[in-house]
This record gives sequence, C-alpha cells and structure tokens, in this order.
Amino acid sequence: MFAETTSVTMVGAEPRPVRVEAHVGGAKDVFKLSGLPDTAVREAKERVRAAVTSSSMSFPARHITVNLAPADLPKGGADYDLPIALGVLGAAGTIPARPIVALGELALDGTVRAGRGALGAAIVASRMGIPCLVADEVAPEAASVAGADVVPVRTLAEAVAVVSGEARRRSVEATRRIRPSVPDLADVRGQPLARRALEVAAAGGHHLFLHGPPGSGKSMLAQRLVGLLPTLSDEKALETACVWAAAGRIRGVDPTPPFRAPHHTASLAALIGGGTGTIVPGEISLATHGVLFLDELGEFPARSLDALRQPLEEGEVAIARRGMSVTLPAEVQLVAATNPCPCGYAGDRVQACQCSQTDIQRYRRRISGPLLDRFDLRVAVRRLTGDELQGPPGEPTAVVASRVEAARKRQTERGVLNRDLTRAQLDSQPIEPAAGQFLHRAVDRSGLTARGYDRIRRVARTLADLDEVDAIEERHVAEALALRGSW
Amino acid sequence: MVTTVAIVSRGDPGYPAQLEEIADPPDRLWVRGTLPPTPAVAIVGTRRATRYGLSLAREMGRAVALAGWVVVSGLARGVDGAAHRGCLDGGGAGIAVLGCGIDIWYPPEHQRLGEELVAGEGAVVSEYPPGTRPEPWRFPARNRIISGLSAAVVVVEAAEKGGALITARLAAEQGRDVFAVPGDVHRETSLGTNLLIRDGAIPVLGAADLVEALSLILGPPRTHTDVDLPFAMPYDGATVEEVIAASGGDTAEVLQSLGRMEAEGRVRIEAGQVFIA
Repeated sequence: MFAETTSVTMVGAEPRPVRVEAHVGGAKDVFKLSGLPDTAVREAKERVRAAVTSSSMSFPARHITVNLAPADLPKGGADYDLPIALGVLGAAGTIPARPIVALGELALDGTVRAGRGALGAAIVASRMGIPCLVADEVAPEAASVAGADVVPVRTLAEAVAVVSGEARRRSVEATRRIRPSVPDLADVRGQPLARRALEVAAAGGHHLFLHGPPGSGKSMLAQRLVGLLPTLSDEKALETACVWAAAGRIRGVDPTPPFRAPHHTASLAALIGGGTGTIVPGEISLATHGVLFLDELGEFPARSLDALRQPLEEGEVAIARRGMSVTLPAEVQLVAATNPCPCGYAGDRVQACQCSQTDIQRYRRRISGPLLDRFDLRVAVRRLTGDELQGPPGEPTAVVASRVEAARKRQTERGVLNRDLTRAQLDSQPIEPAAGQFLHRAVDRSGLTARGYDRIRRVARTLADLDEVDAIEERHVAEALALRGSW
Repeated sequence: MVTTVAIVSRGDPGYPAQLEEIADPPDRLWVRGTLPPTPAVAIVGTRRATRYGLSLAREMGRAVALAGWVVVSGLARGVDGAAHRGCLDGGGAGIAVLGCGIDIWYPPEHQRLGEELVAGEGAVVSEYPPGTRPEPWRFPARNRIISGLSAAVVVVEAAEKGGALITARLAAEQGRDVFAVPGDVHRETSLGTNLLIRDGAIPVLGAADLVEALSLILGPPRTHTDVDLPFAMPYDGATVEEVIAASGGDTAEVLQSLGRMEAEGRVRIEAGQVFIA
C-alpha cells in the first residue's frame, strides 16, 4: 500500500514542497527512510513509532519505506514527523490517503510541536489548493497567508481524526498584526535639510548617507523613513515574511516595510546571511523591501562593508554553503550614519573637535569610495540649538508620505524605481534644454565622475517626480547638486 | 612649470627691507618665485593641529589674503599648511620659508601647496643653499626669517614647547606684534597660545577680529566687493542648515540656489558647510 503527504523545506527564503512517499508491504518489521535526511529526520522513525502507539493506534509491524522527494533538496529538523506519521498510517490503511500538507514535530506522547516552516507550509498548501495541518502555536502565522486552508492540530490523534473526517476541524484566527506605531516625522524639529533628504530618499528609494555629531538625531531620522515608504503589496509582504520564517522568526504577512538596525559588531554571517548547515538569512535579507540602517558605518569591519556592495547592486544575495547555493532577497534601502570624525565634533559650532587632520582622514577612509558611490544622497545633520528643540513640531509623516506616494506612482508607471535607473534609462529621461545645459556646465566645472553624474540625474528625476512634472527642470538639477553633498 | 629661482643678497634692491631690521638677517636668500612687496603677516602654529586650529588657520589665511596682505608661514604640516591654503583660497600671495634647500619639498605632501604658492605670485624662500636637507635643528633659525619678514605674527595653536613659540619669542624681540588665539585651558595644543596671552600677546577671536586688529598696524584692508548671493550666509563656513534657517525660505528653493551657486563655483559645500569660494 502506498500513500503520499506533502511537507515543505526552505531553500533560502523560498518554500519548496517535499513529497513524503510512504510504502507499507511485506511482513518484515523494518522502517527505512530515504531522500537525503539529516540526523534529526532519521530519528523521526523512533518518534513516529512512539507517537502512533501513544495515540492508541497500532504501528504497522511490516516493511515500511518512507522516501522524501525530491532527493536533491537537503531536509533537516524534526518537522517531517507529522507528515511521515500520516503517510505511514495512510499507506497502512489506518486512515484515508488524502492530499494534505503537514508540518510539525511529534512528541513521544503524540503531541504536535510547532515547526519552523509553518508559513512556508501554508504557502505551498495554498498553491496546491489542499489543506495544511500545523501545530496550534503556529497556525495563526500560517493562516495569515491569503488562500491557505489551515487546520490547527494539537495531537497526532486530532490530526488522524480530522483526516478521517471523524472530528470537526477547529477554526483559526490569522495573526492580525496591530500595525506597530512607526515613529512620526512630526517629532523631528528643525533639521530642514535632513527632512528634505528623507523625503527625497523615500520618494526615489535612494540610499541615504547621514553624517553629523553624536546626538544630532541621525538614528531618529532613519527610523522615520519607514513611515514614509508605501505599504508593502501582499506579494512583497509575503516574501518578507518568508525570509523572517527562514530565520526562525515570526513576522506574519505585515504590510509595514521592515526596519533593521544591526550593530556594527554583528558578524558577517549575521549581516549578509550564512551559518553552518541550513542557510540563515542575514540582516540585509530581513530588511528586504524595507530599510537597513547602519549606524556608525565606519565602525563596521571592511569585510562586512565590502560584502554589502553586491547585494545592494543586485537586490539579492547569493550564499554558497557545502556545494549548495541559495539566493535570498535583499531589496533594501540603505540608510547609513556616521560621525564626521573619531570624536564626533568636527565642524560642530559649540563643541570643539579633538581630532587631528590625520585622524579625520583615516576615519573617513574607512568608508570606501565604491561603497560611498551607492549613496545618491549625502547630507550633514547638525545638532539642534536649544531654541530649535523648543520649536514647533515638523510636518507629520502622513503629509510627507502622500507626496512620496504620488512620486512613487509615477515611477511605478515608468516601471522602475529611480534608485535603479540605469545609465541608458537616465539618458532617455526627458530634460528641459536649459536644465541639460546647466547640468553639463556643472559637470565640466566640478570634474564629476560618470557615477557622480548619474547620481545627480537620478536625484533630479526624483525631484521632478515630487513636483509631478515629466521633464527635469533646471531647479531639480540645482537641488540635486546641493543634496549630493561631499564627504 | 617655469619658475624663476633667484638669489638675493643683503644690499640688493630685491632684498626684503624688513629683514634688515632684525638682529641677524640672513646674508642671502634663495627665492623660488617672486617676493611680494606688500606688508606681510605670519600665521604659524603646531604641526599637530586640531580641526579647530586648522579651520581657524585657514579662515585667517583667507581673511588676511582678502584684505590684501601677504601670508607668511613655514609650509609645515598642521597650522602652517592650513594658513597657506587659506591664503590661496583668498587669492592672495604667500611666502613659505623653508628650513631646507628650496629644491627640496618638506614635508613632501606639501609640494603641490608650495608650487601653488609660487604660481600664485608668491614665493618659497630659504637661507640655505639648494641641496640642504631638512634637519630639525635648522627650523628655529628659519623661524627668525618668518617673523622677520612679517609685521605681525599670529600663533593659532601651539603647545608649551615648539617652533611656534620660538617664532613668537623671536617676533617679540624683533619688535613685531604677537597675536595668539585663545583656547581650552586643558588642551595641550592651546597651552602655548594661552601662555602667550598671559605674557602679553594680543588675543584674537577669529578671522574678522584679526583683520580689524591688523588694520591698526597695516592700514585699512583692501575693500573687496561683498559677494552677492541669493541666500543668507550667516558667516563663511555656515552649515547648509544654518543657511536654510537664515534664509527663511522654502528648503527646496534654498537648496536650489545653493546648487546653482556651487555649479557656478561661487560657493563650495564641504561636509555640510558652505564656504564662499
């Protein structure tokens, strides 16, 4: 007798179905497991046998073969216990063989324990149009996937009863994320330049580089970028949720763009992704479709900063481990902050800087030119005076976000975010003759590099989008020049 | 680059008259470039300058140059280099007095600065013949020429011991006015200047203050037409934010003006600060 259930494995952040094929035949009491299982999966045999007998059912004392397919995908962990048990019972004729997705570890007493891949299981189940059995604890997360038929089960006995149609299935409430209160831009007083830069960054998706003394509010500004960004589409929210699930974290299908702020002591693997055995997504992937904030950019090891460059360019990160290569999404908007010098007060009007010129140069050289090239916007943030701190609140997030949304809409129609405009695409952007001449004069004068020239054109495009005009005007080029900044 | 290299000896018409006033004038000077005839001000200080000292030295060099006076210094790292650079910023003529032969650039990274000084109708001079290596023991002797060429000496930042204080002492002996920039009493690089003030040097509180004080010695500064900008500049080197705040207009519009002025080379925006170019 043969039966098949479906489980799931994560390849990077991509859930892939795994067929759990069970065959029961012959009289010999053997239990064989094939299909690249790791130790935890191989031990499933013992747990499944114990759980079945604890659930007042007889475990078939015959020749049992379970194969996990496709064989070339590595499978790890104890999450295959439940689909194996249901497959074996189906093949033995104890329960009807029905197409189901199941995921969860079995305790020896038959209790179903939460599995890491519940979200992935729900995605696979909804694609296949079949029910998905997962442990109670993770059912709400799984149920947040649109179109997933999620069945929460506490024990193997309950799972058996549901599959046999003997018990009523319990309903499950999807995780409803109360949208976490993203800090509002109204809290930022003064700082007209930084506010403007933040709006432009949000509108065009530009990477933003902030430099200024400690306490000037660089982190405060970075945190407020998330509120200015459009909410995520279902597809993007689901992709982000999958990355989080692959990292063993629950995020649910949340439309708020993620915000990640790893500390500079974070390891390369924590930042980019990696780990031994299964590949765990790094911060750059956890922040996908959202904001990655690197405070004290110069303090990050050069190795980490170098490793960031390619993912930033490509929007995804490729990680190779043990002959296996996985690609994870890394579609992030980068905000980086740094002090102007080791003591932090270079250029400050109140506090004197203690650093020598050599110290400052060495400090600034830590951020390599190629990395710095990724930032279309580089602005200085200044410490506020007492008067400014007492000043009126700034424009609230909602108002700025509506302008950002209009600018983003123009880019959606064009099919590309301004940050990602290639040189050829930039060349074909409409620009008023006077603006073009002005841009060329400015380039000739300042000896801009080709990259610098492209950066100015990208920002000018965003400024024109914020003004809701098609052709880039001279004022847009002029402002882009001022926002380019120097470091 | 074509530069004139000349030797001027005492009694020659090209020999700086001020040097004849001092106790031990050099018998001859090797000169690369041309010695400007206008009154000169020495701006000196420690090689181990802080950002505070460097920016001040540069501002002062520029202000002195804009006022039409010559900036004299020693082409050393730190304050000297910043003062020379400021002088060039202000389009002025400057003199670098070396402690080695004029064919040797020391420190080597200041070669370009020295060449720009020569190109900017200034000069690099030395009392030592070409080929003389830079030796620390020659620098104090060189300092008497720095102060000797100048009507006044400004010490921007100096530790308790060092060349800048030697220059100040020599200047006082030569009857030159000595100015010093006050600083944090706990900071090593301000100890020398604070001591000078305690001992009678004139405190200067910035570039504008210096020009005002110097005008009493050197006469009124050359007037230059004030730069006309489409935004408010509270002071040279104000941050972009301060310019926006002072201009009071729409942020985007002020940024547009700044971008235009920068493109035309009328201002420079450096690490968030706006400088009149």
